[in-house]
Order: sequence, then C-alpha cells, then structure tokens
Amino acid sequence: MAEKYDLQDREVWDGNFAASQALRQAQVDVVAAYPITPSTPIVENYGSYVANGYIDGEFVMVESEHAAMSGCIGASAAGGRVSTATSSQGFALMAEVLYQASGMRLPIVLNVVNRALASPLNVRGDHADMYLGRDSGWIQVGAFNAQEAYDLALCAFKIGENHDVRLPVMVHQDGFITSHTAQNVYPLTDEIAYNFIGDFKAVDDMLDFSRPVTYGAQTEEDWHFEHKAKQHKALMDSRPIIDEVFSEFEKLTGRKYNRVESYNMEDADVAIVALGTTVETARVAAEQLRKDEGIKAGVVAIRCFRPFPFDEVRNALENTKCVAVTDRSSPGGAMGAFYNEVSAALYTTANRPLVTNFIYGLGGRDFSIEEAKRIFTEQQAHADAGHITTDIQQFSGLRGPHLGFFQTKRG
Amino acid sequence: MQDLNLLAQDNRGQSQLENGSGLVGWDVVTRGSILTSFEGDATEIVNQKSEERMYSNYNSYTASVASWRVEKPVFNIDVCIDCQNCWVWCPDTSILSRDKQMLGIDYDHCKGCAVCAEVCPTNPKSLIMFSEQTALDEALASWPEKKKKEEK
Amino acid sequence: MVEIRWHSRAGQGAVSGAKGLGDVVATTGKEVQAFALYGSAKRGAALRAYNRISDEQIFNHAKFMHPDFVLVIDPALAFSDSITENEKDETKYIITTHLSKEELIAGIPELQGKEDRVFTLDCVQISLDTIGRSMPNSPMLGAFVKMSGMFELDYFLENMKRVLSKFPQKIIDANMDAITRAYNEVK
Repeated sequence: MAEKYDLQDREVWDGNFAASQALRQAQVDVVAAYPITPSTPIVENYGSYVANGYIDGEFVMVESEHAAMSGCIGASAAGGRVSTATSSQGFALMAEVLYQASGMRLPIVLNVVNRALASPLNVRGDHADMYLGRDSGWIQVGAFNAQEAYDLALCAFKIGENHDVRLPVMVHQDGFITSHTAQNVYPLTDEIAYNFIGDFKAVDDMLDFSRPVTYGAQTEEDWHFEHKAKQHKALMDSRPIIDEVFSEFEKLTGRKYNRVESYNMEDADVAIVALGTTVETARVAAEQLRKDEGIKAGVVAIRCFRPFPFDEVRNALENTKCVAVTDRSSPGGAMGAFYNEVSAALYTTANRPLVTNFIYGLGGRDFSIEEAKRIFTEQQAHADAGHITTDIQQFSGLRGPHLGFFQTKRG
Repeated sequence: MQDLNLLAQDNRGQSQLENGSGLVGWDVVTRGSILTSFEGDATEIVNQKSEERMYSNYNSYTASVASWRVEKPVFNIDVCIDCQNCWVWCPDTSILSRDKQMLGIDYDHCKGCAVCAEVCPTNPKSLIMFSEQTALDEALASWPEKKKKEEK
Repeated sequence: MVEIRWHSRAGQGAVSGAKGLGDVVATTGKEVQAFALYGSAKRGAALRAYNRISDEQIFNHAKFMHPDFVLVIDPALAFSDSITENEKDETKYIITTHLSKEELIAGIPELQGKEDRVFTLDCVQISLDTIGRSMPNSPMLGAFVKMSGMFELDYFLENMKRVLSKFPQKIIDANMDAITRAYNEVK
C-alpha cells in the first residue's frame, strides 16, 4: 500500500508539480521517460514518489524519447496505467511512436509541456510541438494554468481509459509560463482523486494468458483504411464522453471545463481565439476594453484541440463581426494551422465573420495585455470598416519592419 | 484600394518586451541563425596566438564569466614544474600555457571550479584557491610552506 | 494587484524567495503567482524572479510588469542590472548593500530623486550572521514584510515556519532570526 502524502487544501504549485501530483494520485503503474526541459520535473517527481513509496509503480529509464513512448506502449498493451511527459525535440523524436500508440488504441497519458522546436535552439514555450501531434490520432486537451494542468491530467486518464474511447490523451501546458510558474492550486484528496478516475480496467491486455493477443499487425490496402476510419470515428465519438467526464469533474470540484471555453462572448463583436496561457491574458484585455473603451470584446479558447470542436467553435463565434485567430507556432509557408481550422468552421456559418491570423509568441516571446488590446482594437476597426483593413496574416510582437501576408479579394 | 496596414504598427508589442530594445529585427538577423567566429579572413588563425586572433563578438572568447566566481585559483610560478596537469584538466581552457610553459590563469573565462588546484601535484601546490577579493600579491605572500613527509 | 520583481544571481535564492513568499501569501487566502526568467541557469548568472499577489484569481501570464516593488538581493546587480526598468512613480526599491543609502544612491543615477522610495539593508551580512552563509533571500522577505505592510511580522513568521517545515529546526530558527533582523534593520 502506498505511503500517505501530506497535502494541503490550498497548495502553491507550478504546472509541472501539479501534473506530477496527478500521476501520483492516479497511481500510474509505469512511466517510461527520457526527461527533457521544461517537462523534466514531471517524470523526475514521479520517480521520487516511486522511490519514497508514495506510488506502487515503476519508473523505466530509456535511451531516447522514441524508446520512452515505445516502453509506454509495451506497458499499456500489457495492461497497466501508463503515463510519461515530454517537450519539443523529445516530442518530435516520439512522433513516429505516437501514431503507433493511437493506432493500437492504448490509453496512455502524455503530459506535453509545450516548447519551441529548433533550429535555432530554444527551450521556451510555443506550440510547435503540440501542432506536430495534431494528426497523430491522440486526444489533445490544453491547460491554461497550473490548476488546469492538474485537473486535466486527472480527467485524461478517465477519458482515455473509457472502453468506448480507448485512445491516448495528451495534456498540454505552456513551457515555463505554466510549467515553471507557481500559482494557487486546490488539489483533491488522494481518495477522491483516485475514485474519480477509478481502477484501471484492462482490455485486450497481453498479460491475459487466457486470450493471447498481438498488437500492431500489418495491414495493407485491404485493411488499413478501415482501421484508420474506425480510429477517426472513435476520436469523433469521444466528444460526448469528454463532456461527461468534465461534467462529473464539475460535480466533484465546482470547476467546469468545456471543449470550447467562451469568455464575454454573449454579445461580443470582436473576439480573440487562442490556446494555452494566452487565453487568460487575453481575457484580462477583453475585460479592460469593455470597461474602459466600450469595445465588446470576448475570448474563445479551445480546451480540446483534438477532436477539434468544429460545432462548438461555430456556436461560440458565429455572431461575432471579426475574429483574430492566434497561432503560437511558425506556420511554415501557410496561414496558421489553427487559423485554417477555425476559418473552416466559420465558413460554414451564415454570418461568416471576418477572420484574421496572428503569429505570435514564438520561442517564448512575451504576450502582454497591451498586445492583446491592440489586436482587439484592430479587429474593431475591421468590423467598423466591414472588411479586413490589414494583411490577413500578421506577426505580433516581432522586432523589425511590419511582416504580413495576403489581403482580402474584394470587388 | 484597400487601406492596408491602417492599424498595423511596426514593432508592435516591442515596447512591452524586457531586454528587447536595441536588438535588430527579423530583416537583419543572419540566415540560418549562423554566427561567425572571427572577424574577416580566418585562414591564418591556426598560426596565430589566441591574443592575436580577431575573435568576433559572437565568439565565447569575447565573453566573460568572471563575475560568476566566488573563489579564484592563484598561480605560483616559483613552485610550478610545468607538468601540464592543470592544462589537461581545466574544463574551460582557462589555463594559459605556451610551449609547455605554464603562464597563468585566464580570469575572463575561469569559473572558479578548483579542478586545477585539486590536480596540481607539487608540494606545496602551485595553484591554490583564494577568495575572489584577495589581491594576488597578498595571496602569494601567504603561500604555505612545503609539507614534510611525516606530516602527510 | 501587487507586482514584485526580484533581481538576483542564480544560487542566491530569489526563485525560492519568490515561491516562499507565494506560499505564505496563499495561506492568507490571496492568489499568487511566482515565476522566474532564467538566463543560463548556472550559479552566479543574473536572473529575475517575479511575484503577483491579488485578491482574485490571476489571469495575466505576461512576463511584462510595472512592478510595485523591486527587490535586489545581489549588491552588485543594483549597479549593473537596470533595476528601474518599467518602473512606476510609486515603485518601491529594497536593495541589499553594505553601503549607506546615500552612498548607494550616489552610485546609481537612476535612483536619484527617489530617496523616499529606496530602502536598504545588508541581507548578505544578516544571512552570514544568522544562517551562516550568504543566503540573502530570507532577510529580503523580512524587509518586504516591513515595507509592504502586507502582514504582521508574527503572522508572517508563523506561516514561514510551515513553508520551511521540511528543514531541520536549526535552519528554521536561523531563517526566523534573519527575517526578524531584516524587518528591524531595513530603512
């Protein structure tokens, strides 16, 4: 039996510590990890909880992130509750194996502390790694602060391990801004947290000797398509189950999560759509603009990046006049990927708001309240003019001359 | 015509950045984030002594970590036997030695790790750690005597 | 909202100081944020740490701030780091130094004319005397408690004991002495 860990009702934790506490309370059986900044403390703390008897589990040291995810797959297929953490280059090295995990329908929980991808080398937060995982077949949920990194990690086990889902889940938090920022966190007791997730219920496990199974069989054109279609359907069908888990969590804690979060959107003319910590900074800007300048500003945040909440994005934004979609990842010769996804959803609304794209915050570049206000004010100008008055894609917080691309085709 | 860039300001957000003012923009930074190690033609640097080389400002040679030090190694040439042990072991190439003759310490790049003093084999040691504030002549004046065998 | 910026070198405990302050503040029911801007995170390198303290949940995640308090726990950084960056008209400075306030300000042109907002004490000496090594973060907390008026000293000490509860009693006592001395000596 695990040792009792001393918890206060109110702790001051950073995002990494919060995530590692969720792994402890979930009593994760196996963590196979190759630590990398800024996610290192998550697996480091797990190792110390195991060593000090707080978890009856196993920390497996491996030689790379590729091997880390491979080890997680083995342990998960064997029938254990499995989790790990990574960032950036580690995530990139894991990429090949991420597709194996989701294809095998293994409910691994991966804590991703978002960090920029080299080159140039950079340890700070942007969403390049998160975007790299967006077609990997995993459920991806995002935390905006340390409390949410904890809450969502708990929810992730319950979502992924549901036998109607059986998919791996990534819980994202912003490198340094969340992972290394201590804030008030209100944890559940060990008992309540564990009972919320429940015991791990193995299915198709390799250690079931009464029914030996093989994972990762070869399928060519005769079978591959059907398996991938079933996997996509499972991701799409996970949406109501995610909602259900969030609703159960609310009953327990009073903290309500939604796949799309809307702030001040009831009567909003202009909106910022964002991921991660930027959401909360933009909320402050929206409040201030409403109070000081009468601009009806609101914020829409994507909590659940995959499966992409196409319907909920439409519901949240269809009555706005102008929307700025913010991408914290270098777009690599296109509009930002997040912009494209939100735009596709809004294209299928009757109102079709104006949509602009801001590339910002790469490599941990600061995103301030003032900058969010400037973006809102600019959207208001587009709304007043009835068309986009600037380049559709702009860079925000960048040193040097204005950088922007594409204009609206009119008349 | 569209009123392009009506509100789009150059340097947007820049005033909000710490440590950001005075740095060049995206239009000026190098392609591929390359850094040049030397100013001008470096063909002949293998034949030049380090103090003759034209290191660029990007080269770590032109940066100093002196302020990181709490203690510094002091070199006593009277005791040194030029064995080169310190030169081999120094992790920051901060032992100045030429033609196997020990010259002293590069205090711009020494971080005060004390490895050199540890590996020095002479009796008394030719490299001893002193607090950063100690003056060199003061340190040399307080050099310990040779230890006798029975004291070892 | 109270915003605080710490100027320190890695190893002097600004990050622990900021987190310790956060821990204590949270026990009062307030919301806190504590974070740091690391350079090359090696002992001796200059770094900045930050606190935000508010009665409501803190949503601002920007590093940028106009600090209400600037806490300098390395004597040399007062001269070499731009400690007045993004200051407000009412920003208060608490600086560790062995110099008198007048001598210190004479050496830092940016602080001239702000004499009534600059407060000094020798955190390094206080920590050497009480804790036995240079750990200027604890004394700085004592000075901050005094100058901010945010807590009664006894209340702060009581809560700080809980934050430090994992350490041996000797270390806890030494830190309490350091905080108390700093509280009384800052001026």
